[in-house]
Amino acid sequence: MKTRRDFIKTGLALGAGFSFIDLGGVFAAETAPVPNGPPTPDAPRPLLVAVRDGDRVAMLDKALGTLGGIGAFVKPGQTVLIKPNMGWDVPPERGANAHPDLIRRLVTLCREAGAKSVSIFDNTCDQWERCYANSGIAPAAREAGAEIVNGKDESLYRETEIPQGVKLRSAKIHSLVLDSDVFINVPVLKHHHGTLMTAAMKNLMGVIWDRRIYHRTDLHQCIADLLTIRRPALNIIDAYHPMVRNGPRGKTADDLIELRTLLASTDIVAIDAAAAKLLGHQPDQITHIKLAAGMNLGRSDLDQVDIRRFKLA
Amino acid sequence: MSRATHRLRHLRVAVALLVLAGFTVAFSDFRRLLPAGLGPWLASTQLIPSFVALATGALFALGGVLAILLTLLAGRVYCSALCPLGILQDVISRLADLVRRKPHRLPPAKPLTWLRQLFLWGTVAGVLAGWSGLTLALLDPYSNFGRIAATLFRPVLTLANNLLVDIAAWLALPGPNRIDVPWIGADLLVLLPAAFLVLLTVMTVLRGRLYCNTICPVGTLLGFISNRALFRLRLDQSSCTKCTECLRHCKAQCIDLRTGTIDASRCVACYDCVSACDQGGINYAFNWKPVPAGTAPVTQVNGSPIDPRRRTFLASAVGAAASMTLAGKIARAAETEATLIPALVKSGEDSRAVAPPGAGSVSRFIDRCTSCQLCVSACPTQVLQPALLEYGVAGLLKPRLDYNASFCNFDCVRCAEVCPTGAIERLLPEEKQGVQIGIADFYRDRCVVVTNGTDCAACSEHCPTKAVATEPHGDNLRLPVLHQDLCIGCGACEFACPVKPQKAIIVTGRRVHARAKRLVEKKAVQPKSTEDFPF
Repeated sequence: MKTRRDFIKTGLALGAGFSFIDLGGVFAAETAPVPNGPPTPDAPRPLLVAVRDGDRVAMLDKALGTLGGIGAFVKPGQTVLIKPNMGWDVPPERGANAHPDLIRRLVTLCREAGAKSVSIFDNTCDQWERCYANSGIAPAAREAGAEIVNGKDESLYRETEIPQGVKLRSAKIHSLVLDSDVFINVPVLKHHHGTLMTAAMKNLMGVIWDRRIYHRTDLHQCIADLLTIRRPALNIIDAYHPMVRNGPRGKTADDLIELRTLLASTDIVAIDAAAAKLLGHQPDQITHIKLAAGMNLGRSDLDQVDIRRFKLA
Repeated sequence: MSRATHRLRHLRVAVALLVLAGFTVAFSDFRRLLPAGLGPWLASTQLIPSFVALATGALFALGGVLAILLTLLAGRVYCSALCPLGILQDVISRLADLVRRKPHRLPPAKPLTWLRQLFLWGTVAGVLAGWSGLTLALLDPYSNFGRIAATLFRPVLTLANNLLVDIAAWLALPGPNRIDVPWIGADLLVLLPAAFLVLLTVMTVLRGRLYCNTICPVGTLLGFISNRALFRLRLDQSSCTKCTECLRHCKAQCIDLRTGTIDASRCVACYDCVSACDQGGINYAFNWKPVPAGTAPVTQVNGSPIDPRRRTFLASAVGAAASMTLAGKIARAAETEATLIPALVKSGEDSRAVAPPGAGSVSRFIDRCTSCQLCVSACPTQVLQPALLEYGVAGLLKPRLDYNASFCNFDCVRCAEVCPTGAIERLLPEEKQGVQIGIADFYRDRCVVVTNGTDCAACSEHCPTKAVATEPHGDNLRLPVLHQDLCIGCGACEFACPVKPQKAIIVTGRRVHARAKRLVEKKAVQPKSTEDFPF
């Protein structure tokens, strides 16, 4: 095992030597810029849109319309990264991944807004090609004009210093997260056996190369620490039929309840706080929400959030 | 006739190149380049795997039967056009000729019949003695090729693929995906196939198809059968000028110009001599009726009333049939043992290696698997890795699940789909999901939640059956809790566990696979869904 890893490393080093893609940051740790960040904690109350009782596409359109339309986030010529939760080799009806309908619509909107490119990837838990295909996300996104990027290609990750991290001081982060003009996060709301709940913040574990570092170090703190590098400009939580037990993979569709809800916000902490309430938790019960709010990465106190509620039926 | 047989050589070369290319890609990584069905389809043409499948009743595989019928019709066409190891030797010869800058001339040679008999009957004896797994793994030409391709060619082709990835990225074009290089290191797993390739290369460079005509039991079996072939190549004495051009091209050293005979048992039907002969002196001839002794060149060497070749032929046929039947009996006995084990909890019957789901039991698996590595190449997660001695000597190079490398994808049954011998039984995905190939053990004292006082549950997160769940622990933490009766041994927990150096959850393989319990839960209703927003 060791020999193989060493070999791969050597191979990658050699590959980097004669490849012409931008691999400048592979070995030199660097600090990433934070373009398109969310409002700072001192800014006016962040907006959170909660929509119920429509199909996913209708709820997404309503939420985006309330947030100023896709044009408020994506400008012509920009590169966009959409990070869905597609970590599991299960079909859409199992609710373990974001729904392909949402991703398809979002990609289409980004393209219509003039995005230069829209990329999709996830560092999956199950075998990546099976996850991409069986979640329905890769075919839907490709059809809508997205580029499907391999999340298991280590050469696409860059070792990045995290100076403001409390416990996570550096990590190999996917270059699309560091380099894309616009970063959109599309998780699905689920129960989680380790963190109690997984939604927007936890979904970003799929943008780093070695998740075991998180698990070994301090899972909740590392989840919060990564946000000091870059927070998504837009978070959209698919809570149409959230998984309420056996998460995050789930066993059958019986693990889901039907809420027909979608949340959207520029504030990743606020949206997770609202999502926690959907699952019957207080935001402070979810340790990474509490920690992130304490680090001023967003607001977990929903009284401090401008919530717009809509029922489509 | 001459022109027609001339075309035969072109046809043979074309088919052989397609077969070799197909196998090479199949054993390298066909998930990305070829239709998923091609690898197993090619493998189904192979004699020994399909015999094993047929004899054990695992698959209705007719490849071996068809190979024998083909040989009865036209000689050892199989050895030149369908056997990847045979074709590989032809490629090695051509490469050697390029190095030498001129074709190597091989003198005619006497058959080493005793050695051929030794290997053929040694194989039969090995199978009868209950060592079918090791015997066939060592001697099956298809499996030997598979190991060379999977272990030696695959890393090279993967590196080439990854170079293409870089070039495509540089040109800003869509390219293939980068693949982890399947490198095993300079250990026995690489050295065994490499040593075999060296042996094969030396034999090929020095003596053409010597391997096929001494060691290979398939070559020997088909050779003895082709002594009775309906159509055989024959030297036409009237047009032969004894120019020896055919000898220059014969890789089997089986043409004897002095007696004007071609040894059908060693001729691999490559038709090189046919196309080399300006005089049209070598042709396929119908040969069903034994020609009266002493009148035709073919029977000159064995004109005696008792035909030794017929005896060999009959003995081979009987031997093959007997070994197939007995192999079937052995395998079925092992299978009965496997299916009788009731539902689970630790049997104390641990195996150092975890056998793939569908193997039934380690003993059944070892008897039937020929170590061809097709499943190792096909496994999407690469959890299947060749074993060294984890199964014992008899299980050398047979696939095992290595949870340091990866884990078994819950919904995947790819290994069974490609297995040409049926050693990995084709289970429906829902059957496979209940097969307990191993059982996890949880070492609480090593768990991050206990040692570090922080949440983790990577094991539970990955567990597809929720044999690993969590329970509240300390101050708002969740500690893994393991239900072994639900565990199928897929290794997802062990692979995901972040604890170093020894993991906190470790799967031990089962010698005899069992059926895990399945927990059926009612439709979830909590938290109760309301019509309003909870915030």
